[in-house]
Amino acid sequence: MRNMWNDFQSSLFLFYKYVTRGNKVTLTLTILMATLAFIQINIVHGILSGAVNLIYSQTKSNYVGNIVIQPGKDQWGNKEQYITQVERLKRKINAIPGIIGCSARYSTGAIIEYDPDKTGKDIRSISWPVKSINPQDEMRISELHNCMLAGQYLDESDRDQVIMGREVSGGYGASLEVQSLKGVNIGDEVTVFYHNGVVRKYTVKGIYATVFPLADMTIFVTQKEMESVLGLRDRASEIIIRTDEAYPEAYYIEDLRKAGVELQDIRPWQDFIGLVLGIVQSFDIIKKIILFIGLIVAGVTIFIVIFIATISRRKQIGIMKAIGMKESIIVTSYILLALFYATIGISLGMAIIEFILKPYFIAHPLVFPMGKVSLLIVRSEFLTSIASMIAVSIVAGLIPSWQVSRENIIKAIWG
Amino acid sequence: MIEVKDLQKTYTGKVPVHALKGVSFDIPSGQFVALMGPSGSGKSTLLHQLALLDTPTSGGILLDGVDILSLSQHAATDFRLRHMGYVFQEYALIPELNAIENAFLPLMLLGIHRKEYIRIAGDLMDKVGLSDRLHHLISELSGGEQQRVAIARALVNKSKILFADEPCANLDTENKGIVLRLLRKLCNELGQTILMVTHEPEQREFADRVLWLRDGRLEKEEYISKDTQEEALHNGYRTDISSDPDYLKDD
Repeated sequence: MRNMWNDFQSSLFLFYKYVTRGNKVTLTLTILMATLAFIQINIVHGILSGAVNLIYSQTKSNYVGNIVIQPGKDQWGNKEQYITQVERLKRKINAIPGIIGCSARYSTGAIIEYDPDKTGKDIRSISWPVKSINPQDEMRISELHNCMLAGQYLDESDRDQVIMGREVSGGYGASLEVQSLKGVNIGDEVTVFYHNGVVRKYTVKGIYATVFPLADMTIFVTQKEMESVLGLRDRASEIIIRTDEAYPEAYYIEDLRKAGVELQDIRPWQDFIGLVLGIVQSFDIIKKIILFIGLIVAGVTIFIVIFIATISRRKQIGIMKAIGMKESIIVTSYILLALFYATIGISLGMAIIEFILKPYFIAHPLVFPMGKVSLLIVRSEFLTSIASMIAVSIVAGLIPSWQVSRENIIKAIWG
Repeated sequence: MIEVKDLQKTYTGKVPVHALKGVSFDIPSGQFVALMGPSGSGKSTLLHQLALLDTPTSGGILLDGVDILSLSQHAATDFRLRHMGYVFQEYALIPELNAIENAFLPLMLLGIHRKEYIRIAGDLMDKVGLSDRLHHLISELSGGEQQRVAIARALVNKSKILFADEPCANLDTENKGIVLRLLRKLCNELGQTILMVTHEPEQREFADRVLWLRDGRLEKEEYISKDTQEEALHNGYRTDISSDPDYLKDD
């Protein structure tokens, strides 16, 4: 043990001298490369994680909340059309600690028509779901009321008015022109043909944009209006729940079950992002590729530096062995040097990310189709990049120094 | 005491080269031996085998009764560190270390306490006349000074034997004199066993004994008288000493 410690001290001594008395330009450039590789890995990870986080956050804020309750199955195993005794259910839900709020929605298929010049010559028609909300309840579970691009949010008493997402309206910078009414404005009249045969005319009270395309493809009427259309009361197609996110959704789902929400189908928000999951999975692949490339860049740089250092010191290494220095001491000294390059590179990279890049991206977020994205450094990914850089640097230091230090002493000295 | 018995070294290849063809001799402790011979005679090869830098094809080497050829690679490294010192032709110091750091390196490897190895190396640096150059980087020292640092490094572990492979090859006349006198004094004052390879016959006057090699064989031995040594020590290195022209011819 004492010998090992002494050997390590000798390696440390050599490493210290390489750093303090070695070529400063090589030292600086190698550290710079390690720093850039680390930043490159984490900045791309950060942007993609930021984008994924934004998608998740938008999904929860504007699409399905944290948890969705849907109708359960009847005695024959068929899915019920509506949740019953909704008001009672809402009281149970709201009583659970950690639940911020819930909102019951009806959802029904409909054809929406828009006749801009009211002549019948240019009727624009789309088939789209119409949903109902209780405006007050909805304010507790979504950001819809804060996302009005034009006009106003619904009032509880509104019966002949609708709000629609900009993707439905087809104006206000909508990006999915194909499935839209191609230019509905505030105050315009639309006709809704519900699937049960009821036809209603509504004035467009507001156009909203959450910047999350899935959420911007919906038309909302008030709960009272929808109950009048469907001829129902105290029912819902779904109940959207927001939690304080202190625990994972599974924790609250368990609480909901315990509170007596047993017959309904309760699902977390993740079950509703099938469309988004493809993007997230693609981002994960990109992240892995970037991590791989970054590690290769850092590893190869350090490898080349150590390789050149050991090759140019071949004779010196031969002499060190000739005077009785163990190969392991020589190899360890170069591994320490490689670790030094990586560690300083990582530290500088961390400082640049924390004090320069993060504040910059907060001040100047990137504009993505689903919103503004800033850097999100995920702890586990950050630690993985650090551990990977360190592992790669050890290998990059070990291989060349081991190769050269194993060379025959006479050959090393005389070439 | 070094005992060399029928040492042979053949370098394998397309055409095998028999560098040593059965060399045997003894060197008592405290003797300064010069290994001489023309180029290709096997001087350096012999030194490399004795210093465990290479492995002979056959034969035996005993150092104070220890069969050093039976040592494993790891044990041989440790043996070199504890019992041998080696001075190379081209200074062979570590440029990132200063003079005293180069000198104390073997002691550090041996695990000796820092204060102690600095003291021992400092004393040796004083003995080799470099007490005022301890903290100079190698690039700031002259060739002669660098070689004296190499000698200090070779002796710092109180080595049983000091191997010197043409230690004056790259030095000017003045520095050659300094290094040779230093080796002679080390032998006289510390009883240091020294085995020095040289191709310059003038340098043999500093040794006690000369082993002449030719074609991988020990051809003859020559003993240098104390008077000659004293004269060499007194007069320093001279280039006008008569040499044996036969042995200077390359094979």
